Amino acid sequence: MKVKTYLSQTGVLPRGFVDRLRPIVGDEHVSQQESDLISYSLDYWLYGIFLSQKGELPALPAAVVSPASAAQIQEIMKCANEFNVPVTPFGGGSGVLGGAIPLHGSIILNLQRMNRFLDLDEVSLVAECEAGIMGANLELQLQQRGYSAGNVPQSLFCSTLGGWISTRAAGQFSTKYGKIEDMVLGMEVVLPDGSLLNIKPVPRRSVGPSLQDLFLGGEGALGIVTRATLSVHPLPLRTVKQSFVFPSIETAVDVVRQVLRAEARPAVVRIFDEAESERYFPKIGSKVTTIFISEGEPDYVAVDGKTIRRISRENGARSAGEEPVNIWLQKRFDIGLGPVLMQLGGVVDTIEVSALFKDAARLYRDMVASMKAVEGVLEVSGHYSHFYPQGACLYVTFAGMPQDPMRYYRDSWDAAMAATLKNSGSISHHHGVGFWRMRYMTQELGATGVELLRSIKEALDPNGILNRGKLVDDRKQ
Amino acid sequence: MTESNNDPEKIARCAMCADMCKYSCPTYLATGRETLSPQKLARLIVYHQQGLLEDNEGFLDLVFQSAMCGACSNHCIYDDHDLREFIHEARVKAFAGGVIPEDVRQRVETFKQFGNPSGERAVIDKGTGNTGYFISCSSYKDEDLMQATDQIIAAAGLPIRQFGGGDICCGAPLYYAGDMEGFRQASLRMKDAIEARQLSTLVVDCPTCVKMMTQIYKETGIDVNLEIMHTTQLLHELINEGRLSLKTARKDVTFHDPCILAYDLALADVPRQILTSLGFDLKELVYSKDHTHCCGGAYGAKIGDHGLKDAVTSMRMKELQETGAGTLVTACPTCKSVLSGIDMKYITELVAEMIIADR
Repeated sequence: MKVKTYLSQTGVLPRGFVDRLRPIVGDEHVSQQESDLISYSLDYWLYGIFLSQKGELPALPAAVVSPASAAQIQEIMKCANEFNVPVTPFGGGSGVLGGAIPLHGSIILNLQRMNRFLDLDEVSLVAECEAGIMGANLELQLQQRGYSAGNVPQSLFCSTLGGWISTRAAGQFSTKYGKIEDMVLGMEVVLPDGSLLNIKPVPRRSVGPSLQDLFLGGEGALGIVTRATLSVHPLPLRTVKQSFVFPSIETAVDVVRQVLRAEARPAVVRIFDEAESERYFPKIGSKVTTIFISEGEPDYVAVDGKTIRRISRENGARSAGEEPVNIWLQKRFDIGLGPVLMQLGGVVDTIEVSALFKDAARLYRDMVASMKAVEGVLEVSGHYSHFYPQGACLYVTFAGMPQDPMRYYRDSWDAAMAATLKNSGSISHHHGVGFWRMRYMTQELGATGVELLRSIKEALDPNGILNRGKLVDDRKQ
Repeated sequence: MTESNNDPEKIARCAMCADMCKYSCPTYLATGRETLSPQKLARLIVYHQQGLLEDNEGFLDLVFQSAMCGACSNHCIYDDHDLREFIHEARVKAFAGGVIPEDVRQRVETFKQFGNPSGERAVIDKGTGNTGYFISCSSYKDEDLMQATDQIIAAAGLPIRQFGGGDICCGAPLYYAGDMEGFRQASLRMKDAIEARQLSTLVVDCPTCVKMMTQIYKETGIDVNLEIMHTTQLLHELINEGRLSLKTARKDVTFHDPCILAYDLALADVPRQILTSLGFDLKELVYSKDHTHCCGGAYGAKIGDHGLKDAVTSMRMKELQETGAGTLVTACPTCKSVLSGIDMKYITELVAEMIIADR
């Protein structure tokens, strides 16, 4: 091939392997065509996207196989174990840490044919879907029936339910509706050896450790989620949008802390630093801005809105009305600037971490300062989103025009991770690990934690077949 | 059209997007094949331009596997980008190089011989007046639709000159095949057919024909200087003006939005207004209006085929049947034909059924 690979060589498949796959899924669903290998070479790991402009791709799969059922996946996994061929699951391909890159000569297991909306139980408020359903289509299906899952990540239009589960994802309305682990009540998973695990949907169980937590953040390395049942909510009857300008990040964070302590539960809370506020809200300019969206039953929303207003005003905030909220709602999926910057030679990425309230503002200061000190930097900005009564997610965007792109990229990540760990934060709130964040896992989990994770991986996948090179190092590699 | 004005920066940018429109792409959804998603197709187009692909024929074959429906451009995060322009450019190159799918080649051959995609056929030219009604190639084969159109015209007492057949075709099949010289000749014949009839307004029942005449002709330097409207706009006008005496329906109906009508002509509301004014109870699809899916017969998929048409059609039929409505209706004769397996009607037929015979 004329395109170059830089992370892994394309695998040479054992004789007879592809011929075994064909009858499982049908000839037309096994491909080694150049166009397919290129299309499944990369997810949305942004440094990989940056390099892809020049025809440089991290890794090409040895083949792409596209099953239509869990039964077919079971057969594929048995076959992969028999031939010792690594398998990388591929959902929407929107992951930003390289979790779906086919490393180590792997084939791609494409889950996008399994995209059906299966059932809505309006009595129990749950919906069942195949894992390959795109987020936006799940929402269209639900909203047509008067419901929403309440999970609205920026990747809504290009990510799948299976991807949300496997990366332990979160959406913009998470402060009210929760994160994916709060939403999933049951799931069907094909284990690495090809056996099938069914975790029936119930609101809670007490039968030992939660097995489904192995796959909520399992990154496709511990099992392949094929379908799931998740909670849904009736569409809100009333929405209240408010925004406030604060004198500092510290005040803004503390106000949200007080709001949540007072048991208000806005669906959306976002604190934008001066740089992001200026980009989003030119009329407000370079000032810290917080937006709140409360939604649900009218009486509940009225109390929620009133609580937010009172606490914000008591802390010196100036109301900026609904307009900033509407601007954010309009622009929240606009990722258009990234590709434009990359065309100009810029390196861009985002990093999301979490911390307790006592550390949250200091973490922002340290993280932004250390990333701004990296050679080649153009801009570092941040916002908080996904709040809890105990703390928040900090989301930082960085861009540079460096002489040495990889060095700038790595140094920025190192600086961000070091600042996070120094402030007792977690190195990821909701993007997951993929392959890129693996280098920080020992600092996050400690040697004992990594060893435990590795033991779990080896117990489930003794041949190291599934998503090799992701989540945790395999001793066999 | 010879040289392209497409900006290489736009397609390179598209190739680096997160595929924010892929959820809407019918070929991607029907096949689950990432390669057919808009961003991946854009990446392959860029690599082809850069000479980075070894399988040239495989790539050129791939560009005929787009429905060219406009879902991606309609849901694009960039205001100024339409991926179809780049796919079309690649098709033009494929055609010039003789690397086109066999069924495309056959269609072009038929067109060259008969001046239309169907084969030998007589010219229809009936009625008088300076308002024309163009019977598109798909409608020409649809007797029920032609009869319903006659009924409406008669009931409204309209002076309309209907014409079509012979070698009168908007040229869309050649445009989508990448045969731009053939398309130019077809569009000039179409222009002559319009001008020879001294029309001031032209009503067209096929959204693709309307798109060709109102948008693509202009881009290729052909100017048909008259007002062009889609049939639904005429029906809407006639009903609003009270020129048709109609019964009131008491039935459920689901409207299938033809992709070109919804995405390129932005006419999703007009057919709904017609149906509700007739008393129909609209049962909306999940994927309707701005989220409609191609029927599989849009010229891109239809001519590229490879089983893709069947996959897209099958997906759309299932979606339509899910509403449970007793009547399914559309406003594109190609959609009607492609979806005939689930008893699809053209909206004109539904309106004609509601006419009260003696006014």
